[in-house]
Amino acid sequence: MTPLTEIPQLVVNGAMAGTILAVPAMGLTAIYAVLRFPNFAIASHATVGAFAGYLANVALHWPVLPSLTAAFLVAGCVGVASDEVVLKRFRPAGYITTAIASIALTIALENVIRFFFGNELRGYDLPIARDVRIGGIRVGPQQLQNLAVAVAAMAALFAFLVFTRMGKAMRAVADNPMLASIKGINADVIGRLVNFVGMGLAGLGGMLIGLDTTIDPLTGFRAILSVFAAAVVGGLGSIPGAVIGALTVGIGEELCLLFLSPDYRSAVGFVAILLVLTLRPRGILGEARA
Amino acid sequence: MSEVVSSRRRFVQASGALALTALAPGVARAQPAALQLGVLTPLTGAGGFDGPRMAKAMQAVIDEVNAAGGLLGRKVVLVTEDDQTNPEAAVRAARKLIDVTKVPAIMGTWASAVTTAVAPLCWESRTFLTTVSGADSITKLPHQGYLIRTQPNNHLQAGKHAEFIASLGVKRCFMMSIQAPFAQPTQERATEVLKQKGSQMVGTLIYDKDKTTYRSEVDQALRTNPDLIYLNGYAPDVTILLRDLYRASYNGMRFAQSYAVTTKVLESLPHEVTEGVITVQPSADVTSPAYELAKKRLGVAEPDSYETQATDWASLVSLSIAKANAATGTAIRDNVRRICQGTGTKVYSAVEGLKLLAQGKDINYEGASGPCDFTDIGDITDCKFRYNKVAGGKFVLLKVA
Repeated sequence: MTPLTEIPQLVVNGAMAGTILAVPAMGLTAIYAVLRFPNFAIASHATVGAFAGYLANVALHWPVLPSLTAAFLVAGCVGVASDEVVLKRFRPAGYITTAIASIALTIALENVIRFFFGNELRGYDLPIARDVRIGGIRVGPQQLQNLAVAVAAMAALFAFLVFTRMGKAMRAVADNPMLASIKGINADVIGRLVNFVGMGLAGLGGMLIGLDTTIDPLTGFRAILSVFAAAVVGGLGSIPGAVIGALTVGIGEELCLLFLSPDYRSAVGFVAILLVLTLRPRGILGEARA
Repeated sequence: MSEVVSSRRRFVQASGALALTALAPGVARAQPAALQLGVLTPLTGAGGFDGPRMAKAMQAVIDEVNAAGGLLGRKVVLVTEDDQTNPEAAVRAARKLIDVTKVPAIMGTWASAVTTAVAPLCWESRTFLTTVSGADSITKLPHQGYLIRTQPNNHLQAGKHAEFIASLGVKRCFMMSIQAPFAQPTQERATEVLKQKGSQMVGTLIYDKDKTTYRSEVDQALRTNPDLIYLNGYAPDVTILLRDLYRASYNGMRFAQSYAVTTKVLESLPHEVTEGVITVQPSADVTSPAYELAKKRLGVAEPDSYETQATDWASLVSLSIAKANAATGTAIRDNVRRICQGTGTKVYSAVEGLKLLAQGKDINYEGASGPCDFTDIGDITDCKFRYNKVAGGKFVLLKVA
């Protein structure tokens, strides 16, 4: 067990893990808000992003920040394409059918990556820096950079939703699709846009996870349960909720080490889902109708 | 009508008898029927890399035995089936070997799931089974002695690893294990042996797989101030642990199974992160004369653990049959320990052993994979391990011991 004096360190570790988790969780929840189905293909798009960033970083020797941009753009484009070709056709059949189709899609995409890259682990071309101690708390420079990227992505998304015409249109469709269409907002365009942004965020998150670890075709799949837990705890459909949910799951998983052996860490995410769904079914910041 | 039928029947019987008589001289002239032994290795599936090489190694030994006159005056023939690394296919193939070919021994199952499925068929039909499967549970099956395995089980591995760690002068060892069936037994055995050797297990933890970071787990380990951390997991998680240990400025030793720190892992991490990591894997006994013989026989520069184990099965089964002067599963079971352990003359190949047995001498077969001494439940009592150390992103042999 971990002594109580370690609480600040655990909170910092959890906040860092949570912030990274928040990026794909925002993508998942944004797609849910507009298209009204949980898109599990987030998992393979995170992997697509991680591999796109890998190609940019290792094959093209781009630095990390441009590679992260490549991860966002490629995953976003793949997201739009896969939605156009596959998921869009399922949507009239209801959200459960579409959600199941998204699981099939994620397995298919994952295998496409496996076909080209094989199963082995790959790492980014990135020196690993030793941690620094700030006021007795250990933090890694790479993790601080990842944190900054994640926070910047969140800020950009919020600015986009609040200040741009497209962002406002997206929120309008999420709030009330009928009213939005009466006002002349093209739901198809908004659908594509939210897929691009949502899957782009997934790809960015996938690469952020990869920067800290290594990547293989299962990178996204391994994280999807925590991402889903974060989105549900925060309230599916609420973007600030996804951030709060991710931090709750991230910090919760770390703090549980005070009482539990580390092999129960994943259970925390699910206990959080159970508690939230029992006590507050719409999640911490979820909309009442969800 | 009935007369016609009966005369036709007589005709058939008569011509059948004629045909048999015609064949009879041929049968009489032939050698005694060949002695058939079963080989059941994976030729396809996950074991598809090791299986064919194992089958080849067994054939090479049997060729030598045949060149020296065979067994019990009969030529030995290996009947090979593919277990497809799949329990279902393996059971079908084993049924064929047992019921149709009626072999006294089946050599070669590779995956633990396959061995677990095939073993009951073997002991029920009194067929002897040799395997490389590593799961502790296999030798605990009620096999009544009809099974031996040449692969070190978990218990033996953990004990040997701990001995090696203690021999490095490590005083404080910490073990981080992935959540898997082997985690706890390995920790318990290593703790016990470290203590016997004057070292100490200062702590253990079992971590969850599929996490993106293990910072808090690493903190928990480092609080115990270990000289060495044993990373008992698989490649994806051990990679993260190595990174997190480096970040945390841990400068002590790190120890892992060779399947967790592979060449691919070394490629995916900066050199400074993996520098000095020690890996371990079961090894053939490269110092044994039997190993030299296997090298020549197979024409391979460095036969691996699987090829040498297969070499030893073919030798053990041949020698047991010769010792018993009978080719049944029960005869092999009752005699295998009489030719591979004890005070007899040490021999390093089947042919050498057969010669001495013919002279009525006692022998002790020492194999290419190890000494081939078995416990009552069919586990080996000792084997060698290969220790490598990472230097500049490459494996360098530390020792085989």
